[in-house]
This record gives sequence, C-alpha cells and structure tokens, in this order.
Amino acid sequence: MSESASTPVPTVAAELRAARSHVGRRLLKNPTGLVALIVLTVMVLLAVFADLLAPMDPSKANIQDVLAPAGGAHPLGADSAGRDVLSRLLFATRFSIAGALWAVLIAAVIGVTSGLIAGYYQKWFESVSVWVISIIQALPGIVVLLAARAVVGPSIWLIMAVFGVILSPAFYRLTYTAVVGVRNELFIDAARVAGVGDASIIGRHILSVVRAPIIIQAALLAGIGIAVQSGLDFLGLGDTNVPTWGQMLSDAFSRMYQAPVLLIWPSLAIALTSISLVLFGNALRDELERAAGKPKKKRRGTTGYVPDTSGDAPVVHDEERADDRPTLLAVDGLVVGYDQPDGGVKQVVNGVSLTVRKGEVHGLIGESGSGKTQTAWSILRLLPAGGRIVAGTVSFDGKDLAHLSESAMVKIRGRRIAYIPQEPMSNLDPSFTIGSQLVEPMTVTLGISKAEAKERALALLGRVGLPDPKKTFDSYPHEVSGGQAQRVLIAGAVSCEADLIIADEPTTALDVTVQADILDLLRDLQSDLHVAVLIVTHNFGVVADLCDRVSVMQNGRIVETGPARSIFRGPRHPYTRSLFDAILEDGAARGPLAHSADRNTITERSAR
Amino acid sequence: MLRFILRRLLAGVILLFVASSLAYLLLYLGAGDIARQILGVSATQEQVAAKAAQLGLDQPLIVRYVDWVGHAITGDFGASWFTSQPVVAAITSRLAVTLSLVIGTTVVTALVGTALGVWAARKRGAADRFVQIVSVLGFAIPGFLIAIFLVNVFALNLGWFKPTGFVQLSTSFPGWLSTVTLPILALSIGAIAAIASQVRGSVIDTMRQDWVRTLRSRGLSENRVLYKHVLRNAGGPALAVLAVQFVGLLGGAIIVEKIFAIPGLGPVAVDSTARGDIPLVMGLVVVTAAIVVVVNIVIEILHGFLNPKARIS
Amino acid sequence: MFRFKRAAVLAVAGTLALAGCSAGGSGGDGGSGNGSGGTLTWGVIAEASTFAQKDMRWANESPYAQAVYDTLLRADAEGKIEPGLATEWSYNEDKTVLTMTLRDDVTFTNGETLTAEDAAKSLLAFKGGQSPNATNLINLTDAKAIDDTTLELTLDAPNPALETYLTQNSGLVAPVEAIDDPATAQNPVGSGPYILNTDETVVGSSYAFDKNPDYWNPDDQHYDKLVLQYYADPTSLLNAVQGGQVNVTNTIDVSSIDQMTATGYTANEFALNWWGFLLSDREGTLAPELADVKVRQAINYALDKESLVKTVGSGYGTPTSQIFPPSSPSFDESLEDFYSYDLDKAKDLMAEAGYADGFEVTMPRAPAIPESHWTLYADQLAQIGITVNYEEQAGAEFIPAILGGKYPMTWFTLQQDPTDYQLAQFQIAEAATWNTLHQSTPEVEQWVSTMQTGTEDEAVEAGKALNTYIVENAWFAPMYRPTAIFMSDANTKVTTQVGNAVPYLWNVQPK
Repeated sequence: MSESASTPVPTVAAELRAARSHVGRRLLKNPTGLVALIVLTVMVLLAVFADLLAPMDPSKANIQDVLAPAGGAHPLGADSAGRDVLSRLLFATRFSIAGALWAVLIAAVIGVTSGLIAGYYQKWFESVSVWVISIIQALPGIVVLLAARAVVGPSIWLIMAVFGVILSPAFYRLTYTAVVGVRNELFIDAARVAGVGDASIIGRHILSVVRAPIIIQAALLAGIGIAVQSGLDFLGLGDTNVPTWGQMLSDAFSRMYQAPVLLIWPSLAIALTSISLVLFGNALRDELERAAGKPKKKRRGTTGYVPDTSGDAPVVHDEERADDRPTLLAVDGLVVGYDQPDGGVKQVVNGVSLTVRKGEVHGLIGESGSGKTQTAWSILRLLPAGGRIVAGTVSFDGKDLAHLSESAMVKIRGRRIAYIPQEPMSNLDPSFTIGSQLVEPMTVTLGISKAEAKERALALLGRVGLPDPKKTFDSYPHEVSGGQAQRVLIAGAVSCEADLIIADEPTTALDVTVQADILDLLRDLQSDLHVAVLIVTHNFGVVADLCDRVSVMQNGRIVETGPARSIFRGPRHPYTRSLFDAILEDGAARGPLAHSADRNTITERSAR
Repeated sequence: MLRFILRRLLAGVILLFVASSLAYLLLYLGAGDIARQILGVSATQEQVAAKAAQLGLDQPLIVRYVDWVGHAITGDFGASWFTSQPVVAAITSRLAVTLSLVIGTTVVTALVGTALGVWAARKRGAADRFVQIVSVLGFAIPGFLIAIFLVNVFALNLGWFKPTGFVQLSTSFPGWLSTVTLPILALSIGAIAAIASQVRGSVIDTMRQDWVRTLRSRGLSENRVLYKHVLRNAGGPALAVLAVQFVGLLGGAIIVEKIFAIPGLGPVAVDSTARGDIPLVMGLVVVTAAIVVVVNIVIEILHGFLNPKARIS
Repeated sequence: MFRFKRAAVLAVAGTLALAGCSAGGSGGDGGSGNGSGGTLTWGVIAEASTFAQKDMRWANESPYAQAVYDTLLRADAEGKIEPGLATEWSYNEDKTVLTMTLRDDVTFTNGETLTAEDAAKSLLAFKGGQSPNATNLINLTDAKAIDDTTLELTLDAPNPALETYLTQNSGLVAPVEAIDDPATAQNPVGSGPYILNTDETVVGSSYAFDKNPDYWNPDDQHYDKLVLQYYADPTSLLNAVQGGQVNVTNTIDVSSIDQMTATGYTANEFALNWWGFLLSDREGTLAPELADVKVRQAINYALDKESLVKTVGSGYGTPTSQIFPPSSPSFDESLEDFYSYDLDKAKDLMAEAGYADGFEVTMPRAPAIPESHWTLYADQLAQIGITVNYEEQAGAEFIPAILGGKYPMTWFTLQQDPTDYQLAQFQIAEAATWNTLHQSTPEVEQWVSTMQTGTEDEAVEAGKALNTYIVENAWFAPMYRPTAIFMSDANTKVTTQVGNAVPYLWNVQPK
C-alpha cells in the first residue's frame, strides 16, 4: 500500500507547481489582469519612492496657498491648509497602501494559521475557533473599531491591526474549508503514511492548495481595508500624523464647494486601486478556473487523443443471423469537439458510427477516456459547456438529432430517449425528494396529473425492486444507498416509456454484489418493455451479460463492432484483445487521474 | 425543528453574553470623564463627582458590569446618560426604521442580485462582463457617493423622491416609499454586486452537476431545471452571502441614514460611541448581536429548507 | 454654553453631484409654509434631548422649549429683558431677593391655571435637574409663592445674569403635577404657543406641533403648525434646503452657504462666538515661556487674522483682538485691531523675551475639528519659531483634558454670552471654568466682583477696564468672531437673537 501510494505525491506536487507557474504566466497574458497588475505596481513604486518624487514636504502648511489652483509651485494645487497636493498624494499612497497591507497581513496570519490548525487537527481547536469567530462577527464591526480607536488612540497601524483581527474570519473560513477538503485526499494520506511530518504536510501540500485563493481574498480585503481607512478618516477618526487618501478625501469634502477639483485625486487613487485589486483577484480566479478546467476535460476523454481522424476503418463482424428489427438509432460519422480558448477545437470523438435496432441492447465498450460517454451524451445533446457535435448525423426515428432545435430536442428526451447515469449519488438533485424528481418529468413529458404520476412512480419504485416504495418516494437522495439510488434512476429512465435507453456505465460506481442485482434488473426491464438500450461500459462482463451487439471504442473511434457472441468468440482488433486480457487479470481499467481532478475542483470552488 | 431552534437560541444567548462582556470591557477601557461630558463645561468639580457617583462610575468595573447584566437580563438596559431616555425606548423606535431600510434593501438585493447572477451565468460573455463591471463599480465606489448622486438626480433635479427625512410605513405607504427608495437604492448597489457574483458562481457550478444532465435527460427544459432545481441548490451559498450582507448593511445604513437624515440607529450609534454613553452603546451591541444571531438562525432554517442534507430532524 | 462648530464632519460629493447641485438649484416649492396660518418647517441641528422642563436644554434646542413652554421673562432680539409670564419684577436693596408678579390668565395644556407655586417648583426642579445649564441657578437658595401671582426668589449672592437666565431654559414653567413626571420627557405639559403632536412626531427626526388654541398671547403664534426637523449632517441639510424641505434652518457648515443662497434662501448673519487661543498658563507653571507677556503678545501679533478668516472661516468672520462681543457694554471698538498681523514685531518681542529661537509647546487637538485647521494654527505659531506638539484627544476627552489643566495653551471657540458678567464668570475670573489653570490677578478679581455687586454704571466701568486689561496683557489670542448664519426662505422673515444659536421662536414669521 505505502509503496504504491507514495508515488502520486511527487507527481501531484510537480503537476501543481506546473499549473501554478502556468497561471502566473497566463495572468500576464490576461489583459485585465495585466492592466490591474501594472496599476498596482505603479502604485507600489510611487509609494516606495515617495521621498524622491515628492517636490515638497507633504505636511508643510502655508496659509497664503490655501486652496491654490494647480500650476506653478503646486502642480496639482494646494489643499485647505495650503499643503502641496502632489506631495501629499505621493505620501498618502505610501501610508494608505501600507495600512491596508498591514491589516491584510494581520488578518492573513491569524486567519490562515487558525484555519490550518482547525482544519487539519479539528477537535477542540476547531470548536474554539468557531466560537471566537462567531463572537467577532456578532459584534458590530463599526462599534468595535470606534471603541478600539478610543482605547488605542488614533495610530493608523494599531487601528488597522484591530481591523485585521476583524477581517481574519474571512481567511479562516477559506483556509478551513480548503484544508478540510484536502486533508483526507489520497496524496495527503500518502504523505502521512510515508512519514512526512504534520508541519511539512501543512507547509508543502495544504498551504500550496490554498495559496491562490488566499491571494485573491487578500486582494479583495486590501480593497476593503482602503475603504475602511477612508471611512474612518471621513468620520474624523483617522491618524492625522500621516497623510492618507482618506485624509485627503475628507479634507476635500470639507471644501467641495470651493475647490471641487481636490476631490478628484484621492478619489481617483482610491477607485483605481480598489478596482485594480478586484480585477486582479477576478483575473487570477478566472485563470485558476481555466487551469483547473484542463485536467477535468482530460478525464472526459482527451487522454491519448490522436488528431488523425482518418484512422483505420473498424473491424466489422458479420451478422450471425438476419435481424429484421428496424433501425432505431443510427449514428454516422459523429465528431464531438470542445471549443478551446485559443479558438481551436479539441476533438474527443473522431467519426463514430453505430446503429441500435428497436429492442436491441448495444454495448459500447472501451477504457476511460475513449470517448464512449461523450458519444452517449452527444446523442442526447447534453454535452458539457463548450462541447458540441462538430460533424456527423444522429438519426433517430427519422429525425437528425444533431441538427434538431433545442425545443424539439426537449420533446425527444425522456419521452423517446432516456438516460441512466453512471454515479447514482451525484445524479439526483439533493434538494428534492426522490418522488418529486420522478413525478415532475412524468407530468411534463406525459402530461399526466400529479396524482397519476405519483401512482406510477410508486409502482415503478416497486418494480425496480425497492422494498418500501413509499418510504423511498418521500426520501431525499442522501437518505438512500448507492444501489437504491441507481434503482431510482433506472425507474426514472423507464418512467416515460422511452424507446431507447442510454445507460452510461450503470454499475461501475456500485459494489460488486449490487452490480449483479442492477444488471438483473436491467435485463428484466429490457425484456419486459422491449426497449432498446445503448449501454456504455468498460466491463466485458456486462456486455456478455446483456448485449446483443458490441462496439469497441478507442481514442474516440470505433475499432471493432459486431454481434456480441461473435466478438467474444474471436476478437480481431489488438485493442479488443488487450481489453480481454485486462479483465482476466484485474477487472478494472480506470485511469489514475480522478484525484488530481478532484483536487482542482476544490481549489476552484474555494477560489470563489 | 423546535429543538434545533432552541439549541441555536441558547448558543445565541451565550454568544450574546460573551460579546456584550467583551464590548463592556472595551467601552470601559475607552471611556473618558463621562460625568464631565454630561454636565458640560460649566459644572463644578463637586457636581461632576456627584454625577459620577450617581451613575456608579466610582464603582469598580466588576460591580458595574454585574449590575448591568443583572438589569439587562430583566430587559432593563437603563437610560442614556446624556438624554435620560430609556435605552429600550431609544432603540426600539429607531430599530424599526433601520430594519425597514435593511430588510427592504435585502429584498431588493436578493431579487435583483439573483436575476443578474442568473443572467450572467446563463448568457456568459457580454452579460457576464456587465455584471462583473457592475460588481467592481459597486465595490469600488463608496456608498455615500452613490447616495449623493442619487439625491441630486432623483430628488433635487427630477423631484421624484424626498431628498431627506423619513415617513413611517404605518403612517403612509406612498410617503414611506418616497423616503426610503433612494436610501435603499444607495445601499443595494454594493450588495447587489456581491450577491450577483455569488449567484453567478454557484449557478455555473451547479449547472455542471451531474444531476442537471440527468434531469434534462428526462425531458425537462433547461429553464425549468435552472429555475426550479439549479437555483434552489445554488441558493445555499447565496444565502450565506446575503446573511453577511445583512449584517454589513446594519453598518452601511449609518452613513446613508446620515445623508438622508433618517432617524435610524445610525446616528445613535455614532453619537453614543463618540460620547461614551455606555448604557446606550451596550443596548446597541446587544440588539445588533441579537439580530446577527436571529438572522443566522433564520438563514440556517432557510438553508435547511433549500438543502435537505443540512436539515436537522 | 459652547459648542463645536460642526464644520467638522463634512459632506461628501463627487464632481458629478456638484454639477447636479448647481443645476438643481431651482429653489423647491418653499416648504409648505407661506403666509400666516400655514406650516413653519424649521431645520434644527440638535435633536430634542428631552421635553422635560427641569432637564431642558437651550441654544440649538431652544425652539423645542419655546414651542411648548413659556419663560418667566423674555429677551428681545438685542437681549434686553422684557416681561414674559412675569409682568413686573424687582430686586431688593442688596440684590438677593427677586420678587416677580405673574400673569393670572395663563393655562397649561392639562387645563390647570399657571400659578406662582408652579413657577417656584419649576425653578427649584431645574436647579436640581439634568440640564447642562442647571448651574445657572446656583445662587438660588429658595423660590416660593407668596400668593397665586407673586413669586419670591432668594439668592445667596447677587447674580447680574439671573434675569437673562430667566429668559432661557432656567425660566421655563411647568405645572407642579407634571414637573417630576418622567413622561413629560416625551410628552410635555406646558403653557407654550404650540402643543407637541406625538402622533406625527418621529423621535430623533421630525417633531410636529399644533397651535395651542388657548394660548394667552396669540400675537406670537404666527403659524398653525410647527415642524422642527432635525439634521445632523451638513450634506443632508443642504439637500433639504435645495429640495425646499425647510423654511428656516440653522447651518452646520459655512462652506455650503453659497449653495444655499443660490437656491433663493437668505443668510441671516450674526455674531455668537469668538475663536482663538486660550493662553491659560500666564504664570508659566506648565510652559515658563508663556509667563512673559511679550511672548503672549508675540503670539497675538503672529496671527494673520485676515487670512485665517478667509481660509479657516471660509470668509465668514470678523478679525478681533478681544473676547467681548460688539453687543456688550464692555466692548471697545479701538481694541478690535489692537494686535494686527505684524510678524516683525512678533519676532522682536520673542527676541526681547529671550526666545529668538522659539520654543516647543504642547496643545490638545480634537478629531471633530478638520485636521487642516490644526495644521494652519500650528503654522501660524511656527512663523515665530514656536513648535506645536499636538496631543490627540478623543472626542469625549478633548474638553475634560483642557479643563483638567493639562495644557498651557489651546485653541478653542467660546460663546460670547449675552451679559458681561456671565462672560467674565465663564472665561476670565479665577474660578471660571475656562480659566483652565485658574490663574488670575487681584485687579481682575476686583473688576469681576464689581460687575457682580456694583451698580449698573460701576459694572460697565469695571467691564471696560477688565476688557482692556486682558487684551493688553494678552490673556487670550483671539483670531476672529466667526459669523453665525441662520437661513430663511423667501416666504419667511427672521430676526436673529443676540447670544443664542438660533432666533427665538416668535421672531420667525411669515413675510
């Protein structure tokens, strides 16, 4: 176990590093991100070199220059105490940014540390943190700030430190969620088993997962820090010893009828900085999403993608006996692709053709990523965002589904073509009862009353072998087991009396014992209802059990097709043969990528 | 359900207790010569000392605190040191005003924010960009600037609404509307941005869920799945943001109430903290903390309604 | 007695909004009050702390009091004492007993007739009440009713300001049975020209009053309805004026006056405060340098008062060197420019005193005053080498810190009270609150004593001598008298009141 599991750690870490540098580079290519970054850099440079750039002492008053217009000695004019606006603006940039960064730093140190500890060790520390945070959030922030200011005095650093404490729950929550999300991940377990210390795990693996979200959060909070700073200055509670934007703004407010132009510079500085911070955060998030989106698509079938669509023609086994059942579904030259950000199209199905006759069970077999699920989805026209049928036709009952309007397609789905998904638990809406999820489609597609639909649903639930249909009907998805959920999904698929059921690996996610029951159920239903089935699987056992006809898919193409018996007896394509060898050894042929994809999903979610 | 509420209420009471203790300590540390403040500059030192004794300011912190808690438990929060108005009376009359603002804003925010968020999630592209821009602007432009802009355009130039003041909802609905519309708009803009981007994100996330495909495969149209199923699932995170916004609005209302001369809690909060009117500030702390507790319970119940997994049997 | 100029927390607007302001200045519909008998909407910049007679405040809260109560005496716009509830009044020989004859035709809103008993109890209740002005009656040892219309006040020492006090909140009269009723804090019982309409009142925002149909002096009831509308923020006040929501209003911030007049309102100007440095440590206990009169005079000469009026005061103010107001008998026109801006003279004086290189001094500063003001004050002193180290005092701490005697000198603004005795008692005498280090000289104490106990002529003489003395000896370094401004719309006529932040209620009438 430890031997085999320790390998993913370096792989994942390297992958992560690659993804990150990728994001960094991408950010520079993202126009908004780049502009925001430039603005922020300029602000920081102005802050750092304020001493060199400022023409005058920012605090030197001159009663003769009060509200002096721009020009001459004062390029941007003078304020209500006759001080040089340009010089003040430069120094204000320094102190405003430093103050905001200081608050964010305090918030991050407190929030991230406690979030890491609470999320990683949980137990009592977690309960304590939850309490402390509830208290921080229950106290009205403004009152706390006002009171704190009365206690600690007007120092900008102390006030912003207090504000940092008030902000810390934001970082805590972010870190905590992310840590809880990854702490039981394989690669963390593996590291732990491999004897890596807690501190090192937190530092190397967990921290690296939350780093980007923390940067995004920090950018947003820095903006809030600047806003609060100017709010305090606006209320006359700022630190008058150092110039800040808020100070300049409130000074300008007091003279807005005499010298409205004074409002422009501090407003501009605040707005520009806040907007840049937000845009920077957004751009970073977008790039992260995009980076995280890649391996996801990998799982859906681009592994080993061969751009060569011509390929060899599939090996076709002869019909063993004449089959006079009419053709129900005929897929011809189907090409499925995903639009890429660079404008290109990434193909995942490269010219698939297959037919399903009425009442026939057609098995579509291949390893993960061979494009079989994509084929199934494209028949239903339910490809994920960005995916589309690039070429080919899908003839069903005389209509070309590939070119049908969406509203016409809605009428086909459920009523004519039904679908049984792979993962039972993720395919039921967690917010509605199982019953209502069965009733709703029936009332919509069959136009029957709710009461009638309910009666039918209860009957169906009994039919698919659920011991207590009423109870299941009233249950929520999380209250039933995976096997039961799959029965529910099968009941849903047959509920609207479709002519064709597309079953996408209907047993893969289930325990071996349950698998057999589900297969039995499918077989029974199929023979009772005489419905055609296109079953997508990687398991030859399933094919042997159910199918009349088999198509073997590899790299988005069909390599061998024909009657099941014939293929079993004599697989001709080397790939088919290797699949046969694989089941004899192991039984499973799934890729190792699931976890890295899951991890990216978490990062992406916490980034929001 | 009842047990759940009771348990949360109990936790809320403990939370209130801890929060108010902290606040009391903070205020005590920050308090100045209050008796002098109350009596004004012409009072003699003797009068000031007598006043301090009358208010119990000469007592040690712990005695004053125990005394305060003892009364607070019975609902007696004392009277303002400066106006002698009972704290409960001072707060309740103004709480209704602030709450009508904040609740109005929350409703507007939830509706508009959800609509914008769904629109952006569905159309992406230009709509997405529009919502993003609105979000950034709502985030970056201070609420008071928006308020002043609204007053100048819609009250002073167009004369559609009253520039200042407040009419009770119970007195006249049109009157109420003419005074709260602009403040609610001013308060909403920032909050709408937050809700819209949250809804956009969760709708996009939820649309990627497997069960969305399955429901659509049963012949439900995309819109039906979106409005009935996706929105309900995306509602959870949006509710959490709405709760945070609600609490934030209690603070944001201060500036808006000031600009529109609305007699809500805002002016009381600013004045009482500035003057060190401890009974009044403590009343405010307890009320706001209680609102936070109640809002959180309500949100949790709503969350349970949206998400059965979070439901407590 | 004093108040911060609320110039502090200032308004807020983008240039866009500004454009809107000037374009939108069409004046509004002038509230709802035009002609007698309508409604007067009055912008007040203090909310009603209470309506209870014994705790009543004054200054910006005086309209609340004058609406529902009558005072024993009244002051005309110049501060001259006139009959009020009392038609006649006279002191005994040594000015320790004041006998007053009251009207017999006054009824309270609870139906009772006003008697001397009500007045006596009201005065004693006020002395023991929560009002910041309770100490006005500190010399009052007893008040009793001789008969229904004769009231006798006994003092432990003469108080020349007592009659003036009786025209203010100290002289308010409530019925005996209502004096200690806590409900009157929200729902007063008085005999005044208006009755609080609690149904239409929104506490903390808008106080509505109806005309009292049984009022004894209908000549003073210029309106059927009175609405006192509270504004805390200069921006909302400006918006209310531009939207025509008020007929008259006090102002918070002089820099928006031009905006208000542009919408057709009239700025009624009057003097109320003086504004400058208190040079309290004249004996040099905290800052030895201030013990030298030349240093104090140098500070006076170093103040560029014209520029300060222009910058800090937005042009609304009159430079001065004395703290007595023009309305006072002690006022001396020739002292106005006793110290005119003369930097060379100031520097010479510093050198003569041995401080050619200046010195450092610590002063308090409050966040409620714009930071630029403090910077400019420090800059004025920097001209003669004096370096100011400011100590930031939180809003609630600022005044106690000054009064606690922590600082040798400080900037402040104080009201110029209606009577000179009041002013001297408050700002000059050894025991005066604002003589923060309580340093004095025998001459000064003698003059103050004469002002209290001497004849009217003696008091005037003493006042003049006192004024000249403190100007010459530079007890203070006044900058200017800021102009107080009360706005009125085109339909309303206003007569400002000497020594009060707002006009008296009956001096606001329809045109």
